[in-house]
Amino acid sequence: MNLDKKGLGGWFLIVVMVIYLGILIVGPIIALMTGAFQNGLMPAVRSISSAVFSQALALTMQIAILVVIIQLLVGTMIAWMLIRHEFPGKGILNGLIDVPFAISPVVVGYMLLLLFGRNSLIYPVLDRFNYRIVFATPGMFLATLFVCFPFMIREMVPVIQNLDRGQEYAAATLGASRWTSFWRIIFPQLKSGLIYGMTLTLARAIGEFGAVLVVGGGVQGRTETATLFIFRSMEERRYIEAYSAALLLGAFSVLIVFVADWLKRSHEKKRLVLSVDGGKP
Amino acid sequence: MKRNIGFLLLSLCLVVFLTACGGASSSSADEVRLVLAAYTTPREAYGEIIPRFQDYWLSETGQKVVFEESYLGSGAQSRAVVEGFEADIVALSLEADVTRIQNAGLITHEWKAGEFKGIVTTSIVAFAVRQGNPKNVQDWPDLAKPGIEVLTPNPNMSGGAMWNILGLYGAALRGHINGVPADDHAAASEFLRQVLTNVSVMDKSARESILNYEMGIGDLAITYENEVLVGRNSGQNYELVIPTSTILIENPIAVVDVNVDRHGSREVAEAFVKFLYGREAQDIFARHGLRVVNPEAAAASAALYPQVEDLFTIDYFGGWEAVMVDYFGPEGIYNAVIMQVHRGE
Repeated sequence: MNLDKKGLGGWFLIVVMVIYLGILIVGPIIALMTGAFQNGLMPAVRSISSAVFSQALALTMQIAILVVIIQLLVGTMIAWMLIRHEFPGKGILNGLIDVPFAISPVVVGYMLLLLFGRNSLIYPVLDRFNYRIVFATPGMFLATLFVCFPFMIREMVPVIQNLDRGQEYAAATLGASRWTSFWRIIFPQLKSGLIYGMTLTLARAIGEFGAVLVVGGGVQGRTETATLFIFRSMEERRYIEAYSAALLLGAFSVLIVFVADWLKRSHEKKRLVLSVDGGKP
Repeated sequence: MKRNIGFLLLSLCLVVFLTACGGASSSSADEVRLVLAAYTTPREAYGEIIPRFQDYWLSETGQKVVFEESYLGSGAQSRAVVEGFEADIVALSLEADVTRIQNAGLITHEWKAGEFKGIVTTSIVAFAVRQGNPKNVQDWPDLAKPGIEVLTPNPNMSGGAMWNILGLYGAALRGHINGVPADDHAAASEFLRQVLTNVSVMDKSARESILNYEMGIGDLAITYENEVLVGRNSGQNYELVIPTSTILIENPIAVVDVNVDRHGSREVAEAFVKFLYGREAQDIFARHGLRVVNPEAAAASAALYPQVEDLFTIDYFGGWEAVMVDYFGPEGIYNAVIMQVHRGE
């Protein structure tokens, strides 16, 4: 009997999956493209090359990249601590990490307003140095960092858990320094997890809306991110601008995911080759 | 070692980035910054007025005005200013939202003392109906009919929504709705309940509500007259229906004293508010669907804005202070009725 042969049930599942994906993902994307290009290519191109949108996109990227860098370092470190070290309060920390998953981003924005806003305890100190957190970029950055916090950690925990410690011991026995052992043994095993964690974090950071709206106030040209620009364009009935900007942002996110996937694959292939060759490059 | 340098550089970048963004910028001699915090509906009008004011101010003083604009629901905007959004000028949907900022100690002058009592534009609560009015909506009672789908924003977030509720409730209380006796709160509440039962979507702001209506949701939207006119100007084909009895919406504007003094922008902020009352700006407001307060501009646009048979103001309910307790307070009429609706009574 040929196990690969698809029965009626198999075909049925495929049809269901295709329809499901079509409705859920392809349909909205086509609708978005139709909206963006309803008056042809030029209006769409013009609207995403406007100075206001470039500014908004630059702010989004600034915040997102900074969040990714910090999460790459801190998130990986926390994941490492959770797996490799025992310390009091570890259970609580483990639970706290998932809190951002549970809280609505709008509420995150309000929490930051309460913490750093004009009526907070810390405000007089900030004011003394003429430093603004809320309704300014630092608050938006903190809000994005908050909502993106769990992604890197949750991605890295299983990766670190599955590290082959035998290789580390072998390296140590052979006299490798901890530094060498990190770069030559541990890092290559972490790499694909790191790439995937960064991808998730970046995509989430770019897409954030509610928290940055509340904490930033949506001031045009100053605290307006790309998603807020899209929202405002919709409100002002500038639909082509809104759809084009959304399409660009969506395309960028898809590109990130593909690049990450490609990096991961090529990396895995290399590792496979390495292990077959007995480690000779 | 290499990694340490990298880490150091990174932290340095971070510090520079956060410091650069966190500092509040201030004004210089040849450039001044003005932060406008507004509610959502007059945004198109401000889009036209602001460049004219910039030209005016440049020719008067040689100073360039850079505007920072934010448009949110009136209540949300008011809370943002209280929480530290340093707006120089607030242009909101209703007086209570300015009062909140005043109570927080940010507005210290008598902002209602001027000729127009701090009100820069007005409008009325009206209906948007589908082209040709297929459901034949003429007045408030039609909103309570079974099977009609009504849109109105959420009064807890949107100033426009409060005006809508008050327009409806006032019309009932003043005896303009068949079957609802005048001055009978129980009967008016019951009528409000019937209409709220027909409400399918409650949006965050007046603008979002009308945009959802444009997307094809609902048979009718309760909204500002100007929202309908702005929508029609931008090519929408829904129609405006003005009820026989409705409330005059009065939109306040105020300079936020603490913030203008901090930014050194009081002079230009006050000039901008004055400019908004001038003929040129008021004509622009009128072109964007708003009823205006400047007598000449109002006379010039009178043909566009029909008289309402029974027009009442917030004073009919005893002013905003009373309304915020009696109607929209935790024990207020609106909350009691919406609870009934949620329970499905």
